[in-house]
Amino acid sequence: MNLDWLDAFLISGLFSVVIIIGLGLLLHLQLGLARIANFGVVGFFGIGMYAFGVMFVKVDWPFSEVWAFFISLAFGTLVAGLSGLLVGWLIADLDEDGVLVGTLGFATAVLILATTEQDLTGGALGLGGLKFPYDIGSVKANEFLWLIIVTTVVALILLYVGRVHRSPYGRLLIAVGANEPLARSLGKPAFRTKLWLFAVGSAGMGLLGALFGVMVRFLDISNLGIDVTLAAMVALVLGGTARVWGAVIGGFLTIGLFEIVVQSYIPFPQGWYGQAIPVVRQMVFGATLIVVLLFRPLGILGDMRRDKLMRSMHGG
Amino acid sequence: MSEANGSAMLEVHGLRSGYHGVEVLKGIDLDVGAEVFAVLGANGAGKTTLLATLARLIPLMAGTIHFHGEDVTRLPAFETAARGIGYVPQEKGVFPELTVSENLTIGGMIGRRSREDRIAEVFELFPDLAALQGQLAGTLSGGESRMVACCRALMQDPQLLLLDEPTAGLSPLYVDMFFEKITEIHQTKGVSIILAEQNATKALEVADQVMVLSLGEAFAVMDAAQLTTDQLKEGYRI
Repeated sequence: MNLDWLDAFLISGLFSVVIIIGLGLLLHLQLGLARIANFGVVGFFGIGMYAFGVMFVKVDWPFSEVWAFFISLAFGTLVAGLSGLLVGWLIADLDEDGVLVGTLGFATAVLILATTEQDLTGGALGLGGLKFPYDIGSVKANEFLWLIIVTTVVALILLYVGRVHRSPYGRLLIAVGANEPLARSLGKPAFRTKLWLFAVGSAGMGLLGALFGVMVRFLDISNLGIDVTLAAMVALVLGGTARVWGAVIGGFLTIGLFEIVVQSYIPFPQGWYGQAIPVVRQMVFGATLIVVLLFRPLGILGDMRRDKLMRSMHGG
Repeated sequence: MSEANGSAMLEVHGLRSGYHGVEVLKGIDLDVGAEVFAVLGANGAGKTTLLATLARLIPLMAGTIHFHGEDVTRLPAFETAARGIGYVPQEKGVFPELTVSENLTIGGMIGRRSREDRIAEVFELFPDLAALQGQLAGTLSGGESRMVACCRALMQDPQLLLLDEPTAGLSPLYVDMFFEKITEIHQTKGVSIILAEQNATKALEVADQVMVLSLGEAFAVMDAAQLTTDQLKEGYRI
């Protein structure tokens, strides 16, 4: 396959955008519908990535690498889902502050575990040996195919999220988020509903973490920083927390802007890309979050329901 | 006990509950059968706490609750709701970001009867709501909002409905309409009702039995027709 027309940075940039959109979509179900502010996105992303990586690299599998790959992928997803179940169980009845601290604490615990459990994770030195489950020639071709596969996975997540939005389950999530005691008095187990939502969302985040690990092929604790959570959160808030397409629009306008436009098309001095631009990116993301929350709290796409409510309450 | 077959639908004994360790209800006994049971009392008497405790939204400090003979004291709210106890809170009784129709659908998520049939029945009871189906509940007036909350609870096909001050703050027109509907729900649907109310005159018109709560204790429990103004005043500490 001749891919000379395709820039390697573009593949990498698009891949980052797709991953953040996937995380933003899953976060949308938790934050946009059920109002659970999960600040531990990177924890679930990371635990899926490392569970997959350790399983794939460290275990001496008695069967082919392709089988080992998919079993490890399922394992990473499952571990992330079970972690979500545990964290969800701990935070489901807490107030917003408790949820924030609990989820942030989980993400920190994952980072510490990945750093200290050197025999398993490689610690600060990292863990190599990951590979694609196929080989179609060049590295670029393999990465391009992986980008297509992961984009398909994220498109399926988008379909699932859209379906939830239109379903009675989606209404239930809105109800639980808006008034949990009332939802309970209607015969719906709010605790179980939130727990299931958290487990499924976390499993999805873990899967995306594992898929990310395959692309980078070297697991490094620098991938477990708060910037992953921040990027998903900023993308979602900018696009519209309560809208299905919010994370998609926001993902392109944030990560897309930095990873594709700035990296590939703006001729900054070479030295800037390593140090200055990532720092500027964090600052811009933080500032964006503040500006959006101050002036357009419902994001670019807004929210038909809440917009209508606001108009009704304040006139206009 | 006032149910026709001699056993009460709801039996409450020695109920104590409150908030954050502060006891509001100080040992309530209550037997409710197939009837409208009014709970009267001044502000702070414990009416809302009583209904929220019966709906299992506030934990008990002591006492027991039996529904149709089954001990539901330790059941979570969603399970008592599934057994047939519907609850309409005084405030925030609707989900503002959902439409009227979606609010009703959420209410109808339990039960076996067709949701469409149940929606048709509640619209028959409150015809004005049919025209508001697509409107967000948060944009409704106070009276409309109470109607939606009541219909949402009726969508659960409850056998016992807990109504917490359904007419508080409403115009006289809505108040009259609501009390007519309470009688209609009881008589045509066979739903027992516990009605917490400040409006004693209206409540006594529709109630079979009455309890006057005073500072968390049952000051009087009797047939509604027998309650005298003096007893009521004493219960209200006027």
